[in-house]
Amino acid sequence: MALIAIDDVSVAYGTPARAVLDQISLQIEEGQFVCVLGQTGCGKSTLLRLVLGSEKPLHGKILIDGVEHHQPDRTRGYVPQKYSLFPDKTVLDNITFGPEVSEFSLLGHLTPRYYRRRRELRQEAFDYLRRIGLREADAGKYPEQLSGGMQQRVAIAQALITKPRILLMDEAFSALDPGTRRGMQDLIRELWRATGTTIVFVTHNTQEALRLATRVIVLAKPSPELGSLVKLDLAVPDPCFEEEIPHLVQKLESGAGWHPATDYLPAV
Amino acid sequence: MSVGFLLIHAKPHRTSAMLLSWALFVTGIAAYLYIAAARHRDNAEERVTPTIAQMARGMYDAALKPAEDDEATSTDGSLLQRFRNSMLWKDTKATSRRFIISMVLLIPAVLLGLHMGLFPYIGAFFLRFVLFFDKIVALSLLPILFIAFGIDELAKIMLIVIGVTPTIILDTFNLTRAVPSEQLVKAFTLGAGDFDAAYRVVLKQILPRVLNSIRLNLKSVMLFLFAGEMIASTDGLAFRIALLRRHMGMDVIIPYVLWVALLLFLVDFGMRVLNRKLHPWFQES
Repeated sequence: MALIAIDDVSVAYGTPARAVLDQISLQIEEGQFVCVLGQTGCGKSTLLRLVLGSEKPLHGKILIDGVEHHQPDRTRGYVPQKYSLFPDKTVLDNITFGPEVSEFSLLGHLTPRYYRRRRELRQEAFDYLRRIGLREADAGKYPEQLSGGMQQRVAIAQALITKPRILLMDEAFSALDPGTRRGMQDLIRELWRATGTTIVFVTHNTQEALRLATRVIVLAKPSPELGSLVKLDLAVPDPCFEEEIPHLVQKLESGAGWHPATDYLPAV
Repeated sequence: MSVGFLLIHAKPHRTSAMLLSWALFVTGIAAYLYIAAARHRDNAEERVTPTIAQMARGMYDAALKPAEDDEATSTDGSLLQRFRNSMLWKDTKATSRRFIISMVLLIPAVLLGLHMGLFPYIGAFFLRFVLFFDKIVALSLLPILFIAFGIDELAKIMLIVIGVTPTIILDTFNLTRAVPSEQLVKAFTLGAGDFDAAYRVVLKQILPRVLNSIRLNLKSVMLFLFAGEMIASTDGLAFRIALLRRHMGMDVIIPYVLWVALLLFLVDFGMRVLNRKLHPWFQES
């Protein structure tokens, strides 16, 4: 059974209804690194929010491990482009927030067990801090004191420490400069290999999608009035060598005059 | 010469900025002293603009002589003891008690605003009513409050509650709604429940802004408190000011007004320091 099953899902907004996604069906297997690619406004983030459970489809259903989830929960970690960290918490507290909130209720903070466990969690958080390339001195800083790249590193650690089966990343590196972005891509690949977490990564950058994913799904609108369809579902060689990228980019970007009924390319 | 140095791009030197910030105080005091001196030259019995010496004597009597109802109390004792028997201390204590009760009553207002902003059914239930309530001029309710609750403390406290809480509820509601939805989604994906998200994520983020909102409303709290005290009270700073007005006691009224301003300034300063201590991250942003 696929870990994520998107079954005949359509989404429309507004009155009169404006179609965003039109009868999308996808199966994502455990351990895949899937990039959802497409132009601005094609419904990539909407698809991610559907999987996240923060939005409901007009038609169809989304199953996580065979079960429908109607709201976000800890089976799916989430790293948005902005507001990914809690501004009132230090780096360390941001990372330990997930385990703390899962294990202790509001009043649980008053118990001695909380303080014992908190010490363990902080050690674990320091391990993650090292893995994402931050120094221990950064642990006491607030998000506002970190660069964009560092904030996203912490956001990844924050999501991974709860060991979610799925990590959903929405344009998580879009606001970063090219150098930092490249570093973050290497980091997330490394963490994906180490943890085996299934990652769904939304981006509009073809190069980034190919550098990261084992599978690229391209969404596109056949015409401005219609909702997006899956234009292309491409398996990417793993590892994907740099010299292969231009060819794959060409393959992904040659979509002019496309008709979904005839040009659907199955996964290679 | 260009007047550009006075416009947007101007960069006042620290000393000139400091001098400018005190200029109106100095002008005001100088103007008062000039007018007071002129009026006292014309009329030695002048009471509307007391001199500095008269005000100092009035304040000395208020702060270090026993209150009217405690005439029997000895005028001996330490300075602190005399202050604690004074009219100023008793009035300050009475007003402070009402002020503290009013501030405590703002806590449920903050929590209501938070829940209204987060839980759609609570928002739907309360929002229209609070918006309507916010438009009622609290002072216009004063007669109704005195009829309904009598002229005891409850009526005065209710006046403050009716006057200030809708603003605080709506401010908190708006601040809650302004928290990016990503933060809530993120909290849920990390394992938070509804109340964890409300208290551990949203409340903690909005609290410094809520404290600032309360700071901005301190004057309103005092306004309603003073209105209540002036109309129906037997003690308190505003009661004393209203009482002294009948006797044209400007030599005490003016120091009392300055004392109230000083107290309010200190409360505001204390809240600012507390906010900075409790929320160092807020200063960073």
